[in-house]
Amino acid sequence: MTPLPNALCFGDEFPASGVPCLVHVEEHLLMIAFPSDRERAEGRSEEVPFSELTVSAGGLDHDQLVIKWVGSTGPRTLYLKNLDVIRAFRQAAPEHLTMPLERAAQQVRQVRQRHRMVWGIIGGTFLAIVLGLWFGSDLLVELALDRIPVEWEQKLGESAYHDFLVRQDVMKEGLAVAAVTEMTRRLSDSIPNNPYTFQITVVKSDVVNAFALPGGYIVVFTGLMKKAESPEEVAGVLAHELNHVLERHGLERIVKQLGIVAVVSIVLGNQQGMGGVMKQLGVELMTLKFGRAQETEADLTGLQLLHRAKINPSGMITFFQRLAEKDEGRVEWLSTHPMSSARAERLQAELAEMPKEDYEPFAFDWAKVRTALGTSPGTTP
Amino acid sequence: MKSEILYPGAFPMVRVELAEGEHIKAESGAMVACSPTIDIESKMEGGFLGALSRKFLTGEKFFFQTLRASRGAGEVLLAPTVPGEIVVLDLDGVNEYMVQKDGFLAGADGVTIDSQMQSMSRGLLGGEGFFILKMSGKGMLLLNSFGAIHKVELKPSQEYIVDNSHLVAWSTTTSYNIEKATSGWVASFTSGEGFVCRFRGPGIVFIQSRNPGGFGAWVRQFIPISE
Repeated sequence: MTPLPNALCFGDEFPASGVPCLVHVEEHLLMIAFPSDRERAEGRSEEVPFSELTVSAGGLDHDQLVIKWVGSTGPRTLYLKNLDVIRAFRQAAPEHLTMPLERAAQQVRQVRQRHRMVWGIIGGTFLAIVLGLWFGSDLLVELALDRIPVEWEQKLGESAYHDFLVRQDVMKEGLAVAAVTEMTRRLSDSIPNNPYTFQITVVKSDVVNAFALPGGYIVVFTGLMKKAESPEEVAGVLAHELNHVLERHGLERIVKQLGIVAVVSIVLGNQQGMGGVMKQLGVELMTLKFGRAQETEADLTGLQLLHRAKINPSGMITFFQRLAEKDEGRVEWLSTHPMSSARAERLQAELAEMPKEDYEPFAFDWAKVRTALGTSPGTTP
Repeated sequence: MKSEILYPGAFPMVRVELAEGEHIKAESGAMVACSPTIDIESKMEGGFLGALSRKFLTGEKFFFQTLRASRGAGEVLLAPTVPGEIVVLDLDGVNEYMVQKDGFLAGADGVTIDSQMQSMSRGLLGGEGFFILKMSGKGMLLLNSFGAIHKVELKPSQEYIVDNSHLVAWSTTTSYNIEKATSGWVASFTSGEGFVCRFRGPGIVFIQSRNPGGFGAWVRQFIPISE
């Protein structure tokens, strides 16, 4: 069986698609044999001495070796792809061809490298964008948040606040209201550069809950106050909620929910369109749950706030623990603030590291406040 | 394996005669009719991953159909989906062709079909996508075009300029660059050509006399928009 052709030969008398031929590398020449079934070059072969050849890289992907010479019947071009033949040719090639051969090989390498580089860059860019969106979204959210004015936040919180209070039994005055107001005053006095005016409302309900809306609107349920053994415990919850407001956690959640497009539009300054969307989201704010990271942040900053306001922070921790232990009644605050021992421990550790402080008691009598709320002084909740 | 083009012109069909045991792979849906001795099999050419890459990378079909004369000699009639000519090539084991995704109709068993990645500029601007089919091996290859098929023969270093949407297939000994049709950007697009391919020989370039994308745009204007 005759060996299969390994190259294509082009010439004036050959068809444009080239004639398959068998190239063999001899010591000083190339032997090119044309298969016998071709009518034009029937069974003949050509011998071309190395001295007559010029070489370069060519073909669609610049990965073929192009050998040219001028034969007796005109110019000839050989396209070689077979690696064995190319290797044999490079080994046998005389000095004057080493340079062009090296250049051709260099070209092939360059093309391959460029291919790889371009695809690498594209792949890398794609990956970078994906990773950037994944990890950088927090940064983008921060950027967007900085551009939302506090008044906006207040408007948003206010409408949700009023919507909520309309359906509730609000306590306008009394010992409980006075107590909560004093707690808030002491806490907010200890916040430097506070852009918010906190509005606290006490709602008559046995639900053990308290929540904060963006813009500084805070609701405390009487159920939570009844559960608390000391005013420091209520102040602890308040400090936690105030810090949700201060750290703009609500807004952060909204922006994250709205997604990256909204974030970008805020960053780029298109605030008009956001108004309507935010109004809609106002209702959803009621059910807004803060993330774990946000809870931890509010815990820690709340603890620090209590410390600055000279309110004993251990009340916060004991209240959290007690609520977690006795899961009786409708302790809603826990459903949004799941208590874990790790959380309490972290707070304990944080508290231990704080410098000792002389904590000042509140001016009101907590026992009287609780009596006014309808809890007999002796009962332990 | 013998082939004959019936009704050459806009609506041709190919008759392929298969000896017993011979088989041919064709684009899925290409079979029009066949002898009762022919078995039709569906095959993922190049294995599952190969088929998958062909499907997603070139837009070619996931399955090819294999027509096998397992119960005696017979004939198969094949036709492409679009109106247009069919050309028969004979691959000799050395010649290789790049084929744009809709250009393949059928190939003998010895023909290997790969999807190959193009360079960035060719992929972005060439209009064939980043991946095209590469036909190599030995045996009969049937290509089809939209409109008539025209063969351009290029001598070594001879250049020719082809509108990228009219390309069907080209041999791998050619090389091409994508360039603007005219020297200016605006004129390039207002002339209706956009990008063109400057081919350099030696080798063969098959082009089609109609532009499928252009035809689609022309048809679209007659389709009523329902709301």
